[in-house]
Amino acid sequence: MDYSLTLDGVTKRFGAMVAVDHISMAIPRGTIYGFLGPNGAGKTTTIRMVMSIIYPDEGQIRILGEENAEAVKDQLGYLPEEKGLYKKMKAGEILAYFGRLKGMHGPAARTKAAELLERYGLGEWQDKRCEALSKGMGQKVQILATLIHDPELVILDEPFSGLDPVNVELMRDVILQMKRDGRTVIFSTHVMEQAEQICDAILLVNKGKKIIDGPLATVKAAGGRAVMLDYDGDGSVLRGLPGIARVNDSGKQAEISLLEGADPQEILGRLVGHLTIRRFDVREASLHEIFVKAVGGKADA
Amino acid sequence: MRSKSLLVANREYVENLRTKMFWVGILFFPIILVLSIVVPRWLEGRKDVRRYAVLDRSGFLLERIEERSAMPDLEKVFREAVLRQIKGKESLAVFPASVQAVAAAIGQSLCEQAEGGTNDAALALMNQEDFRKGMRDFASLISGEPGSRMQQLLSNPLFKQAAAELEKFRAEIQQWWRSLPPKEAKEFGSDLSKSRYQRIDDGASGEITEETLNLKVADNDLFAYIVIPEDPIKGEQQFKYVSRNLTDEDLREWFARYANDELRERRLEQESIDRTTADWIQKPVDFEKKQVSKQGKEEEIAKEDIALKWAPVVCVYLLWIAVFSISQMLLTNTVEEKSNRILEVLLSSVSPLQLMSGKIIGIAWTGLTMVCSWVLSFVALVKFMPALMGKDLGVNLLQAASDPLLLTSFIVYFLLGYLFFAAFLVGIGSVCNTVKEAGNLMMPVSVLLMLPLFSMIPVGQDPNGTLAKFLSYIPPFTPFVMMNRAGGPPSLTEYVVTSILLIVTIVLVFWAAAKVFRIGILMTGKPPTPLEILRWIRAPIGQVPARKQE
Repeated sequence: MDYSLTLDGVTKRFGAMVAVDHISMAIPRGTIYGFLGPNGAGKTTTIRMVMSIIYPDEGQIRILGEENAEAVKDQLGYLPEEKGLYKKMKAGEILAYFGRLKGMHGPAARTKAAELLERYGLGEWQDKRCEALSKGMGQKVQILATLIHDPELVILDEPFSGLDPVNVELMRDVILQMKRDGRTVIFSTHVMEQAEQICDAILLVNKGKKIIDGPLATVKAAGGRAVMLDYDGDGSVLRGLPGIARVNDSGKQAEISLLEGADPQEILGRLVGHLTIRRFDVREASLHEIFVKAVGGKADA
Repeated sequence: MRSKSLLVANREYVENLRTKMFWVGILFFPIILVLSIVVPRWLEGRKDVRRYAVLDRSGFLLERIEERSAMPDLEKVFREAVLRQIKGKESLAVFPASVQAVAAAIGQSLCEQAEGGTNDAALALMNQEDFRKGMRDFASLISGEPGSRMQQLLSNPLFKQAAAELEKFRAEIQQWWRSLPPKEAKEFGSDLSKSRYQRIDDGASGEITEETLNLKVADNDLFAYIVIPEDPIKGEQQFKYVSRNLTDEDLREWFARYANDELRERRLEQESIDRTTADWIQKPVDFEKKQVSKQGKEEEIAKEDIALKWAPVVCVYLLWIAVFSISQMLLTNTVEEKSNRILEVLLSSVSPLQLMSGKIIGIAWTGLTMVCSWVLSFVALVKFMPALMGKDLGVNLLQAASDPLLLTSFIVYFLLGYLFFAAFLVGIGSVCNTVKEAGNLMMPVSVLLMLPLFSMIPVGQDPNGTLAKFLSYIPPFTPFVMMNRAGGPPSLTEYVVTSILLIVTIVLVFWAAAKVFRIGILMTGKPPTPLEILRWIRAPIGQVPARKQE
């Protein structure tokens, strides 16, 4: 298979702390790959190693067929978690500048910058300084800066964090569009729902170690079944149900992970009379539940 | 690879051109230069008229002083009138008819005596000693000194005609001069003492006492008053000068000069001593100052040579300002970029080394633009200032300073000095998150930068002395001290050896700075200690040495 990125036993230590502990993964071309885990799991460190900003202590990285990202930098798009713009530069200028840094020619970069800004509704802001842009518009410009040079592989570190709902949608569309164009997208997030919506495959990490990986469908299939419940009333009754592994109760909504062989009908029967049920949905467990279960299971073992 | 650094440099440069600070920097030097020439002159012109009174108890001295002090003024006034006459300026009309008539006579003689009778030749004649001397005699005649002067004047072909005219108009001119208000005197010549000092004429009658004058001085009605003792010739009694202003002694010195001249003359007369004999007795030792060239030949010392010895000191100061402000720019720039969180985005496109060198190059361009504009505006000013403002500005001194060795070494040493400190500051900037943190780490570097300022004067006095030579070999000081020594100048070997030493050090500092930059630029939180930075420098590239946990 043709891989955009492979990691083989990559390890990074900061003194006594092991930030990334023997992580391996292989990401096929043209997929959307989710790199999931809570804060401090080692996602950013891994991504920085992939970008050759820092180097691993052990293990191998191959990116677009090269060992060092420096060689293929111009084919990479990278959106770090910490991102900003030059306040005094105009929106069009800064986009073109990033394009040129990626090896585009001046005129081509300027045309592309104008085109992108126009397409994403920032046409009239092209000649405005970045300090004049609203936060949301600034985010848009940052996103556009990652893809102005039509990269082969795009790496997004927590791309959704801090975005307003409109830009979350934009980000999602951009990611899907890149997939349609045959590009590979890797993004990290600590919000499982986002990954669940668009990823082809995922890798779950915790404390620098790999928990689960694989195509999303496989991971979900192995995660067991769960009931998605929307209700009104006193949720305390949920805890006493038989045949359940865990309840994640948010007050109006709950996800109930079922044990092997449990009968959803029986659960429904028990709940009727105690709660006003608005939705009762039997399906695969969410990534969130799978993650909690995996991490919790390890802790117990 | 290289072009990416240039892209970064280019952006840096363009952005700097847009800042106000840059333009302030560009304009700073020419403005200072122009002001330093114009302001003193303007202030001179704006000085208030000093009102003073004199109590003359001798009964004769004041009148003679007035006559004497009027002489230089009248000389200037007539010189101005003659100038306007020859140039055919309309402003000649402000002079009274009597002055015009006399000036016309002098002008005519000048034109007749001048070769080819051209105006330029006539103007050239005005700078001859003959004319100057005639002018002095002429002025003293008007102000009332009797005697042999008329004879001398008649024997001077330039003034023969004018002397005749003067006979006719003398009383009229005297009358005009005496009644001319000081405020209006300015129109008839620059720098006249009449427009500076105005004697209030009430000390003549006996009823004015020192007490009433004291009150007037206290009220600022009078700037000062002077009491001449009964017998100044005898010289036993003191003159008295009363004023509230203790710093401006011009008036007293001006008055004393003419009083001394007059008293000296009177004493000589009283003792029947010939004036030329007296001059001879008082003649001071006169030195002829010479310098020796490298070939051992004696040479004249021009004012320009002295200026050239001190011009480097001014250059060092400017060099220092330029290096300091431009590398400071680099520091704040790096810190801002870091706090802007734009660095990591950049690092996905360029390597840390490219980023660092790009920044350093970009700001070097900015600095060079500034420094070159200084040099150019200096050269332009030296060229055009005399045409705009007239000569006698000490511009020839400035001309001496536009020596190519000086100007070239200024630009070269700016670049080298900047590169040295740039490497330090970019390293510091990369590990700091706020300008304030950077300020703390800057301290040792600032102290290092300060030292050449302290050594500026001693090195300037003895540009090839031990201290100067010693400091030249210490790389951080090399640019400043070598600049300072340009008046020496140092030998070629010294130039070569110190430059090599400096360049090698710059390379080393860059290497260290690059390692610190790589690590520091992605670091957040507390800035590292100097020890930590040392560990970073020693660690292999790509490794981040662990921070000690507290």
